[in-house]
Amino acid sequence: MFLELKNIRKSYGEADSRTEVLKGIDLSVEKGKLCVLLGASGSGKSTLLNIIGGIDQADEGEVLINGDRMSQMKDKELTAFRRRHLGYIFQMYNLIPNLTVRENIEVGAYLSHHPLDTDELLNVLGLYDHRDKLPSQLSGGQQQRTSIGRAVVKNPDILLCDEPTGALDYQTSKEILKLIETVSGKYGNTVIMVTHNNEIKGMADQVVQLRDGRIRRQYFNEHKLKAEELEW
Amino acid sequence: MVRRNPLNRRWKAELKSDIGRYLMIFLLLVISVGVVSGFLVADGSMILAYDESFEKYNIEDGKFTSGHKLNRSQIKYIENGEVPVKVYENFYTEVMLDGGSKMRIFADRTEVDLVCLMSGRMPEGTGEIAVDRMYADNNSLSEGDVITAGDRSWKITGLVALSDYSCLFENNNDTMFDSVKFGVSVVTKEEFDSLPKDSLVYHYAWKYVSPPSDEKQEKELSEDLMAVMADETDLKDFVPRYLNQAIIFTGDDMGSDKAMMEIFLYIIIAILAFVFGLTASDTIAREATVIGTLRASGYTRNELIRHYMMLPLMVTTAGAVVGNILGYTYFKDFCADLYYGSYSLPTYHTIWSFEALLKTTLIPMAIMIVVTYIILARKLRLSPIRFMRNDLSEHRQKRAAFLPYSIPFMQRFRLRIILQNTANYLLLGVGILFANTLLMFGMGLPMVLDHFQQTIQENILAEHQYILALPVSSASGSHLNQMAEMVMFANGTQTDNPDAEKFMASSLYTPEGQETVSEGIMIYGCVPDSRYVHLNMTDEDVFVSALFADKYRLKEGDEITLHERFEGTEYTFTVTGISDYEGSLCMFMTQKHLNEVLDLDPDTFAGYFSNSEITDIDRKYIDSEINYDSLTKVSRQLDVSFGEMMYLLDFFSVIMFMILIYLLSKIIIEKNSQSISMAKILGYTNGEISGLYIHATTLVVLVLLGVSLPLVVTVLKNIYQTVMRQMLSGWLPFWLDSSLYLKMYALGAGTYLAVAVLEYRKIVKVPMEEALKNAE
Repeated sequence: MFLELKNIRKSYGEADSRTEVLKGIDLSVEKGKLCVLLGASGSGKSTLLNIIGGIDQADEGEVLINGDRMSQMKDKELTAFRRRHLGYIFQMYNLIPNLTVRENIEVGAYLSHHPLDTDELLNVLGLYDHRDKLPSQLSGGQQQRTSIGRAVVKNPDILLCDEPTGALDYQTSKEILKLIETVSGKYGNTVIMVTHNNEIKGMADQVVQLRDGRIRRQYFNEHKLKAEELEW
Repeated sequence: MVRRNPLNRRWKAELKSDIGRYLMIFLLLVISVGVVSGFLVADGSMILAYDESFEKYNIEDGKFTSGHKLNRSQIKYIENGEVPVKVYENFYTEVMLDGGSKMRIFADRTEVDLVCLMSGRMPEGTGEIAVDRMYADNNSLSEGDVITAGDRSWKITGLVALSDYSCLFENNNDTMFDSVKFGVSVVTKEEFDSLPKDSLVYHYAWKYVSPPSDEKQEKELSEDLMAVMADETDLKDFVPRYLNQAIIFTGDDMGSDKAMMEIFLYIIIAILAFVFGLTASDTIAREATVIGTLRASGYTRNELIRHYMMLPLMVTTAGAVVGNILGYTYFKDFCADLYYGSYSLPTYHTIWSFEALLKTTLIPMAIMIVVTYIILARKLRLSPIRFMRNDLSEHRQKRAAFLPYSIPFMQRFRLRIILQNTANYLLLGVGILFANTLLMFGMGLPMVLDHFQQTIQENILAEHQYILALPVSSASGSHLNQMAEMVMFANGTQTDNPDAEKFMASSLYTPEGQETVSEGIMIYGCVPDSRYVHLNMTDEDVFVSALFADKYRLKEGDEITLHERFEGTEYTFTVTGISDYEGSLCMFMTQKHLNEVLDLDPDTFAGYFSNSEITDIDRKYIDSEINYDSLTKVSRQLDVSFGEMMYLLDFFSVIMFMILIYLLSKIIIEKNSQSISMAKILGYTNGEISGLYIHATTLVVLVLLGVSLPLVVTVLKNIYQTVMRQMLSGWLPFWLDSSLYLKMYALGAGTYLAVAVLEYRKIVKVPMEEALKNAE
């Protein structure tokens, strides 16, 4: 298995205010697959994504990516790991406001020894004509495409997407999902996507439903849909 | 019942969460308000004591010196002349004390120019003396000590301030006072009468019967009075009070110091106002979502403005209060000591100053309130939804500045950071300029003084210059006596010293200009092939010293008009060359040429140059001696007067530089905390992130430090030269060793390095969750 989670537990707060967010998660994802984590607010899906991404640390359990045990990594090693293997896409894009579209993508490219060609990627993302604009001059969809560009330009093993369409309208959301599908297909990235949009599960290879910090249901799509076929 | 805004309970938490920033602002305020308030209180109290001293000690309206003692009818003639005055005898004699100081001794005064006893008691018997407190301090003398001059000695019974010598000017046309090697003192009438008569100076003071109403009238009256005196007496010196540096210099200096301090305060306030402005914008940016939510919940704009103004105002108020307390206690004494270290002032009482409170507290607070209010009000104009979306950009269509892609990515990133923070960096530039100006003044003035002393040591014309004087008795008495005195003078002023070389000399005065005060210029008439003045001069040449040329911006071909002091005869010279002599403001021509100009016999001479002491001329024929000590009087006194202040300036400028850099770079990091957090998530190391955000600031600071130096030199040189021209006669050339630039640059860079370490720690502390805040 490319990504393995074993008995992941995480809680916040102390004493009476202690809340257990993840209550023993076991999960495996194969390389190159798209895994969707579904669940309502407070189900623990974002926390799980952050633990996979090394932004947050589990209280118990192990995270293995391609055999590397993340839970034993120190801060510097985690940084190096994120640098080599992970790409992040957020709901609110988190672009660097004073850099142009192209420069925001270069922020990702800088971290890789073998980045993808930035201009080619700009064309794939449909952003070439906007490459010299600042994020504030772009629509939400264009900003999210830039954020996808920044994540994939270093050709990461895993693309972590936290509600990538959460702030977008229907049409733009579909475009973004198509783009994620296209780039991961083209570059072979494993995608872990957190969403509360139940319909997105249709395009996933693997669907994991969380509730109250536990996996309520997990299954694999035998007939997954293309992003453009999704409706909600 | 009026309900209190619950938001206001946040102030403790906010203060705690941002303690670094508020502590720095507080410190800057405390130091600036403290220093300025202390200075204004000390200055105001001392100016009042100084102003009151005119009446309290019945200070003269003017003084004059006669070549001989005036008889009763001469005094009556003057007193009942065109300008009615009352004339008082105020004779003095001068002795050279063992140790090399000159002591001017007066008999205790009872009518005019009264003496303020600072400590001890006044002399009551022979062999007792009360000396000037300032001179005593500078020479480590105190009550009970004994001072000696040859075979005479006096026990110090008290330390005093002579009301007509608040500033120890030996001669009124001296470039600078000298409180180290020149002192004044009083003895009893009996003791004074027992002193040798050969060095007695017939010095008189006068008071107008009807005091003039303004300086213009005072000037007119004094000119008329001088004409009367010149008719009746052998007038050697005439100084109305408004021109008497020993009396007015202190008041003028305190007045100009006050103006300088106020300018200093306003610059700091302007800088602080900008810092507050930027801090307010930064706070709003950080709290955008909270503000959006509160606005959406029904909180009014004014409620939020009041809330966000509360903490800056509390800090400003606390800073001002603590600053004022320190100002009235510690800094006031420090500033008073600075004045007491330079001037011989009478005792003073601290006067509460509303002006100080207004200028150091109320005005700064008003400026802070207005600036913070305007910025907050402008920022809070945006709709709640814009705040909730964290969309605070006022120019939505702002385009990215073009940067060629050929520039490596990291460099481009840094340039973008610099462009994004232009306002912060501009403010930092102003702060660096200001701090560096103070620092350069603090570090540079000792260098100017050292250089001047070294220059004089290296190119002094001769170890000794003796200016001869006709004995007083030659101008009075019978015709026969006068003839005899002249013959004795001619014989008595010859020397067998092989080093001695005669020269002619005359002091002529520059006209009083808008830029400069009138001052004496020594004109040397040198013998052909002089051993001391190495100028190849013809009988038409007029050389000016490098110092004279520098001060008056003279060059070859320029014309200079000088006049005699009291007679007003004018002489015009054309400069034919600039001598490289930097010892004093003077001119050189041949002896023959100068005597021609003055209409004197070609062989007339006025003194000797000599590299060894001349011992075979009677002291009574020597009017003055110019040597290294007399030429370095100015630099020595400035060193004494400003020594401690220079350290204060150095300290203050470094602190201010540090605080500004800390505050502004903190804002830059906070403004970019989300980007920094995102970069961490992407896998950038702390080193790489610092390489972007700290190096951008480092680059700007290093460039600003470099650029500021030549600007500061230009600004400081202009201020220095303007002040020197307006305030002082004489000239100290502005000279800085190139090592100063290196030192200042290193000090600036070192200070920044300390702040950069704090910045690095701040970057390390930015949590990755910061980027996730809006992702929920």
